[in-house]
Amino acid sequence: MTLAIFLVVFAVIALLVILSVSRSLRQRDADLPGIEVIDVEAFRNLVNPAENEYLHRRLPAAEFRRVQRERLRAAAAYMRVAGRNATVLVAIGQAALAAGDEKTAEAARQLVDSALLLRRNTTFVLMRINLAIAWPTLGPSAAPVLSGYERLNHSAMLLGRLQNPAVPVRIASLS
Amino acid sequence: MLQAHSFLWNYLWVAPNLFLLLLSVFLWKRGFVRVFPGFLAFAILSSLGEIAAFLADIIPSVSPDNFWRVIWAGLLVESLLKFVVIGEIFSRVFRPYPSIARTGGTLVSGFGVLLVLLAAIVAGLAKGDSVVHIVATAHLLEQTVFIIESGLIVFLFLFAAYFHLSWDRLSFGILLGLGISSCEHLATWAIIANISPSEHVRTLIAFLNMAAYHVAVLVWIYYLAFPGKPPKGKPPKGKPPKEPTIRLPETDLAVWNREVERLLHQ
Repeated sequence: MTLAIFLVVFAVIALLVILSVSRSLRQRDADLPGIEVIDVEAFRNLVNPAENEYLHRRLPAAEFRRVQRERLRAAAAYMRVAGRNATVLVAIGQAALAAGDEKTAEAARQLVDSALLLRRNTTFVLMRINLAIAWPTLGPSAAPVLSGYERLNHSAMLLGRLQNPAVPVRIASLS
Repeated sequence: MLQAHSFLWNYLWVAPNLFLLLLSVFLWKRGFVRVFPGFLAFAILSSLGEIAAFLADIIPSVSPDNFWRVIWAGLLVESLLKFVVIGEIFSRVFRPYPSIARTGGTLVSGFGVLLVLLAAIVAGLAKGDSVVHIVATAHLLEQTVFIIESGLIVFLFLFAAYFHLSWDRLSFGILLGLGISSCEHLATWAIIANISPSEHVRTLIAFLNMAAYHVAVLVWIYYLAFPGKPPKGKPPKGKPPKEPTIRLPETDLAVWNREVERLLHQ
């Protein structure tokens, strides 16, 4: 009896998940949030292993754990924003994929790929950050996210330039 | 009306399978076999299997043992093909995105193994609803297959939603129909295999199962036989390409530009 109840509940939840995800798939472009600004430098400081090491040496153990938890919570907030931004860029890239212009479509493909990679990496790093909040001495590795963010920047700029050449894009003059 | 072998019973048993068979012929003629060979095989073989089971049920010369052998054979083929269809949808949805295709493949394999273990444990704990071995094991197999199938379908939906992936109409329709049907069947087979309900309740459950399958077939007809609107931004034939509907806003471009400059100067 208990087993049957467990399986029926599982089936009902599964059906609700399928129906709600299907519904959200139909209308998700309408409620797409905007891109939020991320201070990469501040984030880089928060997850810098040298900085962690310095704090570890200078602060008493209990104080270090408290400070480190605060820093990790801030880093997690950055990660969540980066993940949300990646989602927005996936949607932007996918909308641009159908463009007739081959260069724009290629740039869109690159953007989607980089954004998905960033989304995946932010998920993994968030897991590690949450683990590190429990054991502050572990310290998260954010290198894949930072490199992903740089790649994403490049792809977003390229797509933006192809979609809207009138907007001055300074990356071109730098390279 | 809600009795075995009533008109509604016969309609719900036969009609969805005839519809699915007709849909298969229609899709075959449109070259669907190159796009979704697994689904087409599933549609043809499972509808033929169900029609064979119906005939075995109404022909008096077919013994109960032979009827259950037909059910078993259909169940094995159908279960195998359903997993082929899920694999087909998975590769169609994730193949265009190499950055997450491998992660997705690893996760879906791992999750699949967990589901198989869970289904095996649940099958081991089940009491069985019949003293006739072939009947009880068929019900347990149904329960096991639907645990794995519905789990995998939910996983695919959640994974795609998490990454905000766009689905093509065909893949979405196939998986939605399969998902609705598998969740309903899981609930009902769990009741049959574990509670041993009365004959009347079993008949009602059979109606529910057939009705859910009918809904799934209608979902497949809607998504596969009727073409949807062209994707956003895709120009109609002969017209110049339109601009994408979602553009990267200029203000956001400036933000990205600033970040890129900062990173370039480090």
